[in-house]
Amino acid sequence: MEGIITIISQVVFWGLYAGCIYILLATGLNLIFGVMKIVNFAHGEFLMLGTYITFSFFVLSGFNPYVLLCASLPILVVVGIITERLCFRPILGTGKLNEIFVSLGIIYVFQNVVAMLWTDEWKTIQSPYKDITISWGSVQVPLDYFIIIGITICILIGLYLFLHRTSLGRAIRATSQNRKGAMLMGINVEQMDMLTFGIGAGLAGAAGTLWAVSGQVFNPYMGSIPAIKGFAIIIIGGLGSIAGAIVGGLIIGLAENFTSFTLGGAWKDAVSFIILIIVLIVKPTGLFGGKDE
Amino acid sequence: MRNEFKSILFLTALIIVAVIISGCTSQQSPQGTTQTVNNTIKIGVIASMSGPASTTGKDIWQSAQLAADEINSQGGVYLKDIGKKALIQLVLGDDESTREGGQKAVSKLITQDKVDLLVGGFSSAVVSAHQAIVADNKIPYIIAGASSTQVSKRKDIDNTYLFYHRPNTDNSAEASLLFLNDTVRPAINSKFGFPDSRPLRVAVVYQDSPFGKGQLDAVNNLTKKLNLPIVVVANASFKMGESDFRTTLTSVKSQNPDVIYAVTFLNELIPLTQQAIRDVGLKTLILSIENNDDPDYYKGVGQVADYSVMESRFSPYAIPNTSTKERTTKFLSDFDTKYQGFAGMMGAATYESVYIAKNAIENAGSTDKVKVKDALSSGSVDQLLETMKDGKIIFSPDTHESKFDLFVSQMRMDNKTNEIRPHIVWPVSLQETSFVLPDWYAPGTT
Repeated sequence: MEGIITIISQVVFWGLYAGCIYILLATGLNLIFGVMKIVNFAHGEFLMLGTYITFSFFVLSGFNPYVLLCASLPILVVVGIITERLCFRPILGTGKLNEIFVSLGIIYVFQNVVAMLWTDEWKTIQSPYKDITISWGSVQVPLDYFIIIGITICILIGLYLFLHRTSLGRAIRATSQNRKGAMLMGINVEQMDMLTFGIGAGLAGAAGTLWAVSGQVFNPYMGSIPAIKGFAIIIIGGLGSIAGAIVGGLIIGLAENFTSFTLGGAWKDAVSFIILIIVLIVKPTGLFGGKDE
Repeated sequence: MRNEFKSILFLTALIIVAVIISGCTSQQSPQGTTQTVNNTIKIGVIASMSGPASTTGKDIWQSAQLAADEINSQGGVYLKDIGKKALIQLVLGDDESTREGGQKAVSKLITQDKVDLLVGGFSSAVVSAHQAIVADNKIPYIIAGASSTQVSKRKDIDNTYLFYHRPNTDNSAEASLLFLNDTVRPAINSKFGFPDSRPLRVAVVYQDSPFGKGQLDAVNNLTKKLNLPIVVVANASFKMGESDFRTTLTSVKSQNPDVIYAVTFLNELIPLTQQAIRDVGLKTLILSIENNDDPDYYKGVGQVADYSVMESRFSPYAIPNTSTKERTTKFLSDFDTKYQGFAGMMGAATYESVYIAKNAIENAGSTDKVKVKDALSSGSVDQLLETMKDGKIIFSPDTHESKFDLFVSQMRMDNKTNEIRPHIVWPVSLQETSFVLPDWYAPGTT
């Protein structure tokens, strides 16, 4: 019995870790959708860029890779702002099909640029804490995963405070709730679009750093699957809902790992979409979605 | 109206420029290899130059170029029909690491480039998708990868023109199982005081693909066929390209294996090994297979792979002490000089494939496809880089597969490079050093 509890605790822990990466990715995606109502299939590429920026700074500076969040997050914010300004602003409001094709194009551009700069070989980095383990109930878990979960919680709290306690955050929320109303109140919604896109990309970049630090391999083509799962999560959680992205991310992280444990790893990706279908049948607006989404 | 006219004019000009540019570029080919040369032998090289397997693809293409350059520098391939030598002209076909990409590349090489012969081919899934096109067009194809027996023993296509210069999944599984039974099982039983009859507990962690399933089937079938005291206590699959194995390994750990038999690609083996030892806390041996014997593995995996074992056929750092040693050393050195890096297993096999093609064409006396096919079927080439059964590259009459002398290396930390390095521990005929069971090792059951 004790053995089963130990194993289940371990699987829950891996689910929480996976959930953290998904939460950061999906929160950014949902923030962008909430404000701009655009579908950005290239969101996974921001995660991929985050891994490469972390890798490059790690190789060049030898800094603790967790500290490099201070590099990947702001750099990705800037990349996000540039992407919004150059690629999405011109086609905003011209139809969903244009947004989809632009985002698909961005995927190829980012992938090829990264492959050109860093080659398309698989890369990996090692955490300085890789040999330290901590007890979690009856299981021993590497310290890195506690740090990753802690950082995710800190980022989410920071995002919450930014959105609720600052005038910029309130302006973003106002734009998300009623774009025309926000404009009438004097909010520069285009600036809010740019900022939101930047924050969304930054969150994906942070997910990329945590992905790399946890010892997972990455190459220029690794962003697509996490992005697709990110979409599944925001639909499950409810389009535009940050709380939905957090709950959805945890559900998918845990479900994937329990499926992998019981049915095998080949079913891991399928379960996300099985849950998605069930949620769409039972509650088409998602767990936390409003009626108008 | 005036603006419309301008737009049309601009578009027309753009189209003309595009056509001119495309016309110009069609005179060149990848790496500048399709320049027109009289009396050339066109060899198509199927390699994944883009997509997830692009590292292997470059290895294939560069090694093929190295072989072709060596042959051409000696005047080329002698064609008895015309009484003189012809140069080899390589034509690249990028399969884009996908089944569809492979089909497009092969179709283009056959119908547009009109190649005389094909070499290369990586991944059972990709090769199985374009095999039929090659078979239908009756082009001799020396396949250097695609180890699944589901590829080489297909009954639904004509295999006459297909030749496999690689060990199949049965061959590599057999070598791995014999090593486990000959070496690992006695070492565990002796160290922990188990009876000699105690069977070895093996967990197979495999990629959910023809390659992975082929290995799993081979392990299950050969254990029974060879009546080996080995029990498969768990078999856990994962999706191709997976990088999070934590839960899969937790599941495997609960079955208390003595050894984990990992059927992975390189990008999967590195995180699998790290997560098994570091994250999940497995104190067991990890046995991987030949396709991972690559410099990138040694560079990326770190100290966690110390004492792990790998079944292999060609290694950048462990060259069997046989007649191939000198040539292999030269090949690695030439490759490094030309491309500043190490050649991998697929590179070595493709390099050999170009020489096998040369030999077959010379024996056939021409590039006639039927004659070349017959020469490949009946011919024999002395082993070149990889150690072959009886020292010869000979394709079996039934499935056209060559037979390798496979070996197993154990990884040990090298303090000079701060990377792990392989040391051949099996078979006895090729052994450099003895297999060591590490102090931290814990058997599956007591």
